[in-house]
Amino acid sequence: MVDVGGLALIIAWVLAIYAVVMALAGAWWRKRDFIASAEHAALATWGLVVIATAALLHALVTHDFNLEYVAHYSSSTLPLQYTVAALWGGQAGSLLFWTLLLTSMTAIVQLQNRDKNREMMPYVTAVLMLVALFFLSMLNFITPPFQRLAFTPAEGQDLNPLLQNYWMTIHPPALYTGFVACAIPFAFGMAALMTGKLDDVWIRTTRRWTLFAWFFLSLGNLFGAEWAYLVLGWGGYWAWDPVENAAFMPWLTCTAFLHSVMIQEKKNMLKVWNMVLVILTFALTIFGTFLTRSGVISSVHSFTQSGLGPFFIGFLAIVLVLSIGLLLWRLPLLKSENELDSILSREASFLLNNLIFVGMAFAVFWGTIFPVISEAVRGVKITVGPPFFNKVNTPLGLIMVFLMGVGPVIAWRRASARHLQKNFLVPTLLGFAGSVALLVAGMRNAYALISFGLCIFVMGTIVMEFFRGMRARQAVVGESPLTALMRLTAKNRRRYGGYVVHIGIVMMVLAITGTSAFKEERQITVKPGDTFDLGGYTLRYEGVQARETPHLAYLTATVAILQQGRQIDTLHPEKRFYKKPEQPTTEVAIRSTLGADLYLVLGSYDEKSQMATIQAYINPLIGFLWWGGIVLGIGTAITIWPARVPKRAPAYAPRGARDHVAAD
Amino acid sequence: MTRWAHVRVLVVAAVCSLGVLGAGAPLNFQDLEESLTCQCGCGLTVHSCNHLQCESALPLRAEIRAQMETGKSKEQILAYFSDKYGEKILSAPTTRGFNLVAWITPFLLVGLGGVFVAVIVLRWVGRRPPAPPPTAESQPHMPSPYDKIIEKELKNFDG
Repeated sequence: MVDVGGLALIIAWVLAIYAVVMALAGAWWRKRDFIASAEHAALATWGLVVIATAALLHALVTHDFNLEYVAHYSSSTLPLQYTVAALWGGQAGSLLFWTLLLTSMTAIVQLQNRDKNREMMPYVTAVLMLVALFFLSMLNFITPPFQRLAFTPAEGQDLNPLLQNYWMTIHPPALYTGFVACAIPFAFGMAALMTGKLDDVWIRTTRRWTLFAWFFLSLGNLFGAEWAYLVLGWGGYWAWDPVENAAFMPWLTCTAFLHSVMIQEKKNMLKVWNMVLVILTFALTIFGTFLTRSGVISSVHSFTQSGLGPFFIGFLAIVLVLSIGLLLWRLPLLKSENELDSILSREASFLLNNLIFVGMAFAVFWGTIFPVISEAVRGVKITVGPPFFNKVNTPLGLIMVFLMGVGPVIAWRRASARHLQKNFLVPTLLGFAGSVALLVAGMRNAYALISFGLCIFVMGTIVMEFFRGMRARQAVVGESPLTALMRLTAKNRRRYGGYVVHIGIVMMVLAITGTSAFKEERQITVKPGDTFDLGGYTLRYEGVQARETPHLAYLTATVAILQQGRQIDTLHPEKRFYKKPEQPTTEVAIRSTLGADLYLVLGSYDEKSQMATIQAYINPLIGFLWWGGIVLGIGTAITIWPARVPKRAPAYAPRGARDHVAAD
Repeated sequence: MTRWAHVRVLVVAAVCSLGVLGAGAPLNFQDLEESLTCQCGCGLTVHSCNHLQCESALPLRAEIRAQMETGKSKEQILAYFSDKYGEKILSAPTTRGFNLVAWITPFLLVGLGGVFVAVIVLRWVGRRPPAPPPTAESQPHMPSPYDKIIEKELKNFDG
């Protein structure tokens, strides 16, 4: 099976080259059979990568320790779900997984476009297979997953204990799916440049793919935050680590792209800018993979560092030179009749929104690479950590929240004074009233007051939008409020799904504000029976029990949680000691309520005195981060859900346009 | 001083003020912990590192306490740690010398981007021909059946 996997990767590499050459040749000489052959080769590449992935999974599950990868990243006592997760736990496996996702998505794109976009498809195939070719080259020549050892160890070295967590089984697949899916709009964008078909067809064709990529980037970031919250045990969920930043940057530019394409669709503007954003987003996914893999910037997440850095930088340079070269070549064709009726318009607010998103992406990028720049310029190593990122991004983030309230509601073309008053007066007053009420209630953190006020403002605009739409339907169709609300959303999924996504983001902003401004914490060394207070709770340390399995040893503390003298819960924070490799990890214990999490960490334990150091945190509003993620998911599902195809194309549309509408 | 020089001075002042916000506030142990990076390789600040018996965070915490007892200001304490362990121990770049570039660049670019966006928006607004005054033929306007259909479909498309 292992040999089959290795062979499959070699043939896949050859076929990827063939697919690229035949697709480009077919497009150049307009040979349909060449193009068909390239597409078949791409499908075959996908099949071969599936075989290679199955071979590696088989080797992992059957504990074939003669294979270097299996011996390095698994063991015979590793639970099955983590044995499967070891597929992306190591260098070669994660690259193979990347390739599997990319070739799978390529196959889906080809099936979706069998009968449409035929002029662009050869170029789309060529671009996607070129990216696949890079990864297949890494897998065949630089970091092969099917490398045999000269001997067979009796036991494997096991997966990094930090990765042996439920969230780690779903965080990397979600993030990789988001990263890889960004290649689809990029490929269509490049195809549009190559064919010169620079209208909005490529944007409409990839709208769902972009949303899909964005959704998985969002999920990847959230799952990573949840993993950090539960596993790293420092009471937080985001540390502005370079690898976290690597996942966040494409999310920012992808979000900007999702907004700016609306202006191209609606007003045929920003064609160049949209190309820049799609190139930037794809380049940032490659940069992110480079950061994770190269170890050029130290990170707590760099589990699989190696010497792949120069290859990724080289590939990134090629991607940027070719795509920017194409963009410059087609610049004359991309010129659009940019017209605005007013500064007070949705178009203008989206431009500002794009500026802030890209500005934040740049700030994160700049902070991430500045240590390298400083070392190159001054020869001095410095650290750029959370204080920098928080100070730079907080003001930008607050502007972003404000625009989130303005952008979706302000009128296209021109907002009259009456329109502004009708849509924004009540939410603005509510936002101010909310901030003042919090100030009177004793809140003194300026950023928090502004943030909560803005959240109320945004929610006000969204609720009013839903309410007005619902009332209009009730008046015209006579539906019940719930039916009207559901039909209103179903009739215009993109618009109202977008509002739901914004509600999810507002919930997350509430959580980020709450945990940043009002976190409480206490570290205390206690003996059994001792009590201490935190955030309205009294915590009584009862003692520590030890137990052991073949895989790991546990130290489990028992802490009784009391409120007003009555025990309401018992929490069990743990220390785990993995046997291979010998490494302690933290298993936090959490009591979640709507208002806050009580988060306990067992810091240390002295067996002789039975004294333990407990770190306790109150994380206000953090539940909104995870619930916000669920709301965001629901909103994206509403937005992405296919609308019923109308039986008839619009009566006024010309024949060509009717075909286009039907294909969309 | 030219207008651009004024702008530069304002940007530098704004960014510097971000760096020294709270300079006059009373010394706070947690604030100092968060200003220093743990050297154990965890990548977290001294405050956030929760490694068992961490060989870096624990002595650093003790050293912070000792420094606080000497009556130094936050800047003096951070300068002490920077001199002793190198600049890499600070969790954010200083606001002096080349490090100022780290703080200024994002705001400068966003500011320049804002100016660029403002300029192009004003240009695009100016490019729009003024709406023709209403004529006798155009008023009163009776919507044609096509206009109604287009209006309806545009409403559905809106979003």
